[in-house]
Amino acid sequence: MALACARCGAQNPDGNLFCSTCGNPLTAAAAAPPVAAPGWAAAAPQAAAPGPPAAAPGWAVVAPPTAARAPAWGVVAPAAPPAPAAAMAYASPPVYASPYYSPTGSQRQAPVHRTPWTLIIAAVVGLIVVMAGCGTAVALLTNKASITGGITSDLPSPTPAGSPSPLASPSAIAGATSASNDYLTIPVPPGWQVAHKDSQVIALLSPNGLGSITVASGPLNPPSTAQAGKDQIDKALTTKYPGAQNCPGTRPTNGTLNGASGIFWTLCYTVVSNGNSFPAASALFVGVNSNGSIAYLLELATLAGSMDTFRVDTKPIVAGIVWKSK
Amino acid sequence: MRCDHCSHDVPDGVFCTRCGAHQGTTEEYGDAKTREHRYAAHPGEHVAQPSVFTTLFPHLGHHKIHEFRWAFIAGLAGILVLYLAGLITAAILVSAFLVPVLYLIYLYEAQVYRDEPAIVLGFTIGGGIVVGILFTVFERIVYNPFQYSNNLLANAGVNVGGLLLVGLLLPVLQEAVKPLPAFFLPNRADFPETVDGLVFGVAAGLGFSLAEALIGFSSVLTGLPARVEPGTWIYDLTTLAVFQPLLQGSATGMIVAAIWRWRRGRLAGREIGGVAMAVAAHIAFSAGTQVMKETAVNPLFILIWQAAIVGALLIYIRYVLHHALLEEAAHMGYAETVCPSCHMHIVASGFCPNCGMALTAAPTSVKRARRPRVEATPAVEKKD
Repeated sequence: MALACARCGAQNPDGNLFCSTCGNPLTAAAAAPPVAAPGWAAAAPQAAAPGPPAAAPGWAVVAPPTAARAPAWGVVAPAAPPAPAAAMAYASPPVYASPYYSPTGSQRQAPVHRTPWTLIIAAVVGLIVVMAGCGTAVALLTNKASITGGITSDLPSPTPAGSPSPLASPSAIAGATSASNDYLTIPVPPGWQVAHKDSQVIALLSPNGLGSITVASGPLNPPSTAQAGKDQIDKALTTKYPGAQNCPGTRPTNGTLNGASGIFWTLCYTVVSNGNSFPAASALFVGVNSNGSIAYLLELATLAGSMDTFRVDTKPIVAGIVWKSK
Repeated sequence: MRCDHCSHDVPDGVFCTRCGAHQGTTEEYGDAKTREHRYAAHPGEHVAQPSVFTTLFPHLGHHKIHEFRWAFIAGLAGILVLYLAGLITAAILVSAFLVPVLYLIYLYEAQVYRDEPAIVLGFTIGGGIVVGILFTVFERIVYNPFQYSNNLLANAGVNVGGLLLVGLLLPVLQEAVKPLPAFFLPNRADFPETVDGLVFGVAAGLGFSLAEALIGFSSVLTGLPARVEPGTWIYDLTTLAVFQPLLQGSATGMIVAAIWRWRRGRLAGREIGGVAMAVAAHIAFSAGTQVMKETAVNPLFILIWQAAIVGALLIYIRYVLHHALLEEAAHMGYAETVCPSCHMHIVASGFCPNCGMALTAAPTSVKRARRPRVEATPAVEKKD
């Protein structure tokens, strides 16, 4: 038998406790006139309500937020959402449009789930402790790459700059071609790719793709020193890559590279790009001509663990670099 | 009372419990029907507020949100301590796990998966991890950072090839594959709400983010000494702990939420815009970061850029979710329940009449505790 709502007149299926249209109770007490509606919306708060707008006079929030107030519904515990042991007398479950949120009728209600805040904080603290232990263990147990040195000088010099004229020192590599621009020439052995070339810079990529040689030369305006160039490169790498510093066991040295005087050093750092990271190393040389108006740069970049091998493999190429400007 | 907007007779309240519209004078707030000054999942906030937890953790009540915020802050403090101690490998691990672990706790707290935790968690977080492993391995094969070396002498310059790969192609591919685990969730019909789709998408995205971080940083984890000079690691750790997972989670959440809307036949310009926004945000995040790193911009500006992108994406997600909740909450029948936001005991349909919270965004336990009331309303008055 359909039940007519005393408030809105809508027909409801037999067994509904509330009107499916307006929510008015359909029990015997529902016969009360609509003016009794103040209890509809909100009765007694569990705690001071944060955030929501204050109820205006005449609206349905009938109870002030006082802890001493008795639970409005009588069956709902004030300190927690509906308790499992609450003795509720159900007639039959009402009809709901969606089965997922329908009441469970006379079945025992599941207790409201609530993770203690201490458990949440403890989980995070535990995560930190466990991961700190794991991270340290992994770092201690794995083999670390060691780098024994960088690019070698062809003519050791006690000063950072001052060697007069850059000299060409070509070397023969079987089957090699060459790449050239306005300021330098470099041999390109079979398998190596010219990854970049412009009027001042030539970059070669190794056959296995795990290392690159960047050679550059060009005018300096105003004139500068090799030390200033080194500082500039250090700053750029330190900004770009975390942990950039001189590789353990290495230190900057002065010398000449194919006639250009300058500074040799080796930096270790971590390349972080788009969520990927690699421990890398760069063996570097930066030099200037006698009056500081022309700069010379060489960078051998590869994975930190491969630097010693890469340095040996690239030695003929480095020896074949020709600086065109003096 | 009769709602000003849906014209139904509803219980008295500040908000219509059927349509969620704000009642009464709302000139100062604009449109009372869409009530964007009261975000449906957390009515204490405006829709345009870029809050991480009330957006990506929509089922949490008012108090729980604070607990998760404190837990997150505790995690960040732990990372800072490890960084200052030079324990970078440990800090990387904590950064990679922090947000995914918090989300796992959230899923447990809100019981979003209801009675099927294994299937839901397996297809969202687990599936995201599997996809993340496969994709990141592929990514490391195709992307070689040494191929895109720059002119150190000039201290500037961006390699166009590298930028197109890292800043365009890989983000688009990631956004295409990340939603797949949630898309193929076998019992998805049991979770029809858009808010469910959002949460599952975020979970899949965070699984992906976790795998991406672990695989992506595997070389560093095994290559760095236990203790190193902290240097500028703090910037990359911040990205790894905060912005990367938030981007991955929110972008995938947005896309999966749009898929859920499409399955309900509710796909409209707002949802299509959401997908476009997710992809565009990922591209802007990756490309902008790449360009600024290559041009040696101060890392602080990179973090600001990343925060701006994530914030904009979060606001769009709130906009989509807010309107989805307003549409979808109306199907809930009347029942007695406790509002998770204002903690009032209420008789309500889809929205709390007191604070306007959409009750579809309530934790599962609260939804299940909805029950019909036998006692008549006038009893309230008698008790007083």
